[in-house]
Amino acid sequence: MAKTTLFLILALLPGLALAQAPKADLECRFTGTDFVYDCTIRLSRGGKPLQGVKVTVGADMPSMPMAHNVKPVKAQPAQAPGEYKARLDLEMLGVWAVKLRLAGPVRDQLILHYEFDSKGASPAHR
Amino acid sequence: MDDYAIGVLTNVGLISFLALSAYLLLIAGEMSFGQQAFFGVGAYAGGMLTAMYGWPLPLAALCAMALGALAQFLVGLPTLRLRGLYFAMATLAAAEMARILFELFHFQRQLEGEPVGPDGTQGFRGIRWVFEHGVEPLGYLGIVYALLALALVAFLLVERSRLGATLRGVGEDPELAASLGVDVNRVKLGVAAAAGALAALGGVLYAHHNTYIEPRNFDIMLGVHSLAYALIGGLGTALGPLVGVVLDIGALEGSRVFHGYRMIVFGGLVALLLIWRPRGLLDERAVQWLRRRFS
Repeated sequence: MAKTTLFLILALLPGLALAQAPKADLECRFTGTDFVYDCTIRLSRGGKPLQGVKVTVGADMPSMPMAHNVKPVKAQPAQAPGEYKARLDLEMLGVWAVKLRLAGPVRDQLILHYEFDSKGASPAHR
Repeated sequence: MDDYAIGVLTNVGLISFLALSAYLLLIAGEMSFGQQAFFGVGAYAGGMLTAMYGWPLPLAALCAMALGALAQFLVGLPTLRLRGLYFAMATLAAAEMARILFELFHFQRQLEGEPVGPDGTQGFRGIRWVFEHGVEPLGYLGIVYALLALALVAFLLVERSRLGATLRGVGEDPELAASLGVDVNRVKLGVAAAAGALAALGGVLYAHHNTYIEPRNFDIMLGVHSLAYALIGGLGTALGPLVGVVLDIGALEGSRVFHGYRMIVFGGLVALLLIWRPRGLLDERAVQWLRRRFS
């Protein structure tokens, strides 16, 4: 019995760990002001919306690391579960690594690569 | 201190390692456009050791420094025979080769059901030692500046020693230094190894601050900036590159009013400064004047 339980725990561990890793996706819309975007962040863990997290959003340009210090902004929870909203004020168009720093029940940093253009943002092809 | 201030100060500290690394080669008479490669070697090596093999950060940093030193020593063996622009071009080529190798480098392990490790152009995510060990951003800032202070003290001690005089002698007139019995090639190789170690230390700290790295982080732009910091700040003292970094980041942050044009404005400011003071703000003459004034 003990061996079976141990086997089950070991077999399930990778799946549990995978389920616990937070995931995020991003949708951004150009506001009409140069390089300013309204973004919606969707956080989930194990396929379920991740709520009650403090999200700080920053950005860095991969080809110019440390040169652009975009002011991090705190994302506000939106109406839908797991959704957060933030306004990003970037410095130029192009590929940005959006940094989501999570605090509270989950402590992590997620990096999303998006290409920002005159309409919005789409996942960067690298 | 808010997140923005901590972020800017951490970046200033991290870039300073790269600036000091470029400065070390400059005072030995060599202009390198390739220090970003050794910054990258440190970032990848340190990140792999902590994220993939569970090494503690201090041990990983030491190992990455040794690897950075070895890498620049090996690059230096053939290239330090070149002079001036030829050496600069060789370092640029070596750095681009390193960046392409990072793009081709795929080496991942399955950890807790997820692949961890360098994945070519997709980069290397999950360098989470700092998060896993509860180091807060302010604490990490303290670590970066403590290590920077150690490096700076070492520089200032060397500059006041016989070794410092030898380095400047080799940099200013290698033939004269050789005629006085200095093994110029050996000194330059030693300098190259030390510069590689310093850049690699900056890289390890950068990777753990950022939690991810990718080959594009280590392209020519970073190398040009690192060289510019030393040239703007001045070649008279190791404090020069730090002044250069502060001016660079300060000018960039201060010129936010120019928004999309700020990089052009910043470039113009750098050009004007270098016309006014070709060896930087804290050049040898300025340092002599300050020493006389305060001694």
